[in-house]
Amino acid sequence: MPFATRPLRQSDYNYFPSTCPIVIDNGGSTFRIGWAGESDPRITFRNVVQRPRHKATGETVTIVGDHDPALIKYFDCTRSFQRSAFDGNVVYQFEIMEYILDYSFERMGADGPEVDHPVLITECACNPVQSRAKLAELLFETYGVPSVAFGVDTAFSYVYNQQLGICDRDGIAICSGFSTSHAFPMVNGEPVFEACCRTNIGGYHVTDYLKQLLSLKYPNHISSITWEKVEELKMEHCYVALDYFLEAKVFQKGTKEAEEKMRCWQLPWVPPPSEEPPSEEELARKAAIKEKQGQRLREMAAAKRSSRILELENELQGLEFLLQQLENVQESDIASFLSRTGYVSRQEIESALARVTQSLRKARGEQTEIEEKMEPSTSEKYPLIDFPDNMLSPEQLKEKKRQLFLKTTSEGRQRAKQKKFEEELERERQNQQDEEKRLENPELYLQQLRAKHKELSEKVEQRKRLKTNGLHTNGNNNISGGVGRGERLNAAQRERMRLLTTAAFDRGKGEDTFGAREEDWQLYKLMSKDNDDDDEGPDENEVEFNRIICRLQEIDPTFVAKSDGGSVVATEIPRFRPQTKEDFQIIFGVERFRCPEVLFQPNMIGIDQAGLDEMAGISIRRLPSKDDSIERSISNSIFLTGGSCLFPGMVERVEAEIRKIRPFESPIRVVRASDPILDAWRGAATVAAAPRFQMQTFSRHDFYEKGEDWLRSYCLRKRKKKN
Amino acid sequence: MEVEVMESEMVLPQHLSFKRVQMSDKYPKGQSRGRHWKHLKQILQAENYQSFPPNQPNYVNIESPPSMYPSKKFCDITGFEAPYVDPRTNIRYANIEVFKLVRSLPNEYVQRYLALRNAAVVLK
Repeated sequence: MPFATRPLRQSDYNYFPSTCPIVIDNGGSTFRIGWAGESDPRITFRNVVQRPRHKATGETVTIVGDHDPALIKYFDCTRSFQRSAFDGNVVYQFEIMEYILDYSFERMGADGPEVDHPVLITECACNPVQSRAKLAELLFETYGVPSVAFGVDTAFSYVYNQQLGICDRDGIAICSGFSTSHAFPMVNGEPVFEACCRTNIGGYHVTDYLKQLLSLKYPNHISSITWEKVEELKMEHCYVALDYFLEAKVFQKGTKEAEEKMRCWQLPWVPPPSEEPPSEEELARKAAIKEKQGQRLREMAAAKRSSRILELENELQGLEFLLQQLENVQESDIASFLSRTGYVSRQEIESALARVTQSLRKARGEQTEIEEKMEPSTSEKYPLIDFPDNMLSPEQLKEKKRQLFLKTTSEGRQRAKQKKFEEELERERQNQQDEEKRLENPELYLQQLRAKHKELSEKVEQRKRLKTNGLHTNGNNNISGGVGRGERLNAAQRERMRLLTTAAFDRGKGEDTFGAREEDWQLYKLMSKDNDDDDEGPDENEVEFNRIICRLQEIDPTFVAKSDGGSVVATEIPRFRPQTKEDFQIIFGVERFRCPEVLFQPNMIGIDQAGLDEMAGISIRRLPSKDDSIERSISNSIFLTGGSCLFPGMVERVEAEIRKIRPFESPIRVVRASDPILDAWRGAATVAAAPRFQMQTFSRHDFYEKGEDWLRSYCLRKRKKKN
Repeated sequence: MEVEVMESEMVLPQHLSFKRVQMSDKYPKGQSRGRHWKHLKQILQAENYQSFPPNQPNYVNIESPPSMYPSKKFCDITGFEAPYVDPRTNIRYANIEVFKLVRSLPNEYVQRYLALRNAAVVLK
């Protein structure tokens, strides 16, 4: 921050006689105050006031100008921000102006009962009389100033540089200030206000534009892009291009020259503690642990299996032993014997034996016997079916019905099995064909397979999309901007919503004829929720797709099947990337000359007024005396002042632009003020130091006697005016 | 108040000997004063410039007219020459890379870019 150091209180106030004027340059961004005749202002500070609350005592205090950021922690700034007394370039808040004047006089060391010095203060060109009167009143009433003079900063700057020999008696002063830019023709060292013109654009707009652009470009660093910092960047790096589009082309092409012109602002960044990649030993240790755990699991599984086998074998032996015993038992004793063993009949024991044998085989991992025993022929199994009904008793009839049912179900099962078997065969055959093709020409085969995979994946995806989006998604209905909108309901659900809403809104419209036609009732069926299910089973595309994926996985090691969620590629979550130094860099290239360009083309930021270059032409046109010689002489001394004229390349650009609007071969000379920022104050100080100054001021008496009209036409002239 | 704050002299003193009327007397505490200032627009209206001869310079009539040059089109994002306008967002853009960026921008950013040249949609 340029003025973070507080100006020291001056101690020599009392050495100055009361006739020595105090000179104030009341600029939009900076306030400067000093003594007439001195070369530099004594006190300079930013023209802002902040009124925060002191945290400890709770009282509202006034802080004028910039302050040390380290001390702001003692104040509660939540409800106060830096306020300026200016609206545009006109003072409108005199309470703030009073704080500023308080502070400036206090810093100057004033300690008497009043400020007993004439005051020369700058104002904007054609200041509204109300603002001028209020300021004069403030100076007279509150500070007891004996006399006051107002003047325009640009004219002071011009006069000062004229004395230095930088510009001629006649010329154009172009002043680009903080919030506005002016152009005046100067004839005989006097500003011609009739020909003056103002564009409401200045350094504020340049900084604001740069700030907005940078914060739009780097939304992550928005908190670092403060006004003060951007102001600093602007002063250090911005320049005016001689030809904007030519310069932009250089950057568009991305040549080396452009790269050199890029500027990079490194934000404070601390590299995160880097994580060591795990060492070999670590990896080996981890693998060993994993292996160990796997081993243990395998052992456990094996133990479990062997114990189960053992158990089953025991059971088997027991059952076999039981059967043997049963052979030896007398026919009559069978019942009593069985009741002791817990089995009801011999058959049950046998079936249990078969079951145990089966599970034992399974446990041992042997091929289980899939084939069921050949079923006995239907006539044996369902003996009653072939008899006609009238030959059977009611009980037999019932039995026949049951048998019929059993027969049909078992037949159905048989058919399904058969079909499955056939499908299996078909697949096998297809695989075999594939295999043959592959063996014939592996390259071609793989290629074909891939192509097919791609095609099918697209088809499947499209189907999925249709399911969720309805049939109309081919980009057209995205015009409304909502890409994600309408994806919440699938087509069927949306249709249902439509039906419901039309049903709700059609009510009471004309005659109700619902139900007159048969189709009307169909509506309820469409509306019912059960209609939602869109599971038509996987379609053949999907089946084929899955088959191809399996196949590709088998034979192509490079193939990676997309996951289910991969249907929308864009939603892939960016992988976490550690932040690097580059993430904390603010790079700006085009912005360096794009922002100052608003001074020449205000419509870049939506201000429909002429830029600096055209302003010169406008003010020449507005000159009341249409004298060619004057026009020639003033265009030979085009004078640039004000803080925004400090951009490198400004003089060259203004000259090039004015050459375009002036007649061929007219003399054009563009000069910059010796110090565009301070010259206004210096010029004012020399004017105030001149003996003539006494006659240029007006007193409190004049102010109240002569009235508003006089004040309106008041103007600081070099020569005494006729009034 | 803290010593460092006092030493830095950043706070304006309450009482200043050179003033005839102190701030605290002019604007007493705890009294609502309402708004006691006018905006520039109101000031200019009160100036009544239309009752003065038009050749007399005043704050309003010294303003520059609009530029005589046809306004150039700049890419809203990059600042390059912009031959194209995106019909959906109204953003001017220079080339296809910028267009891709424009289409990926959220609406809030689009509006902020448009606001830079005073072309944003303003809801009132």
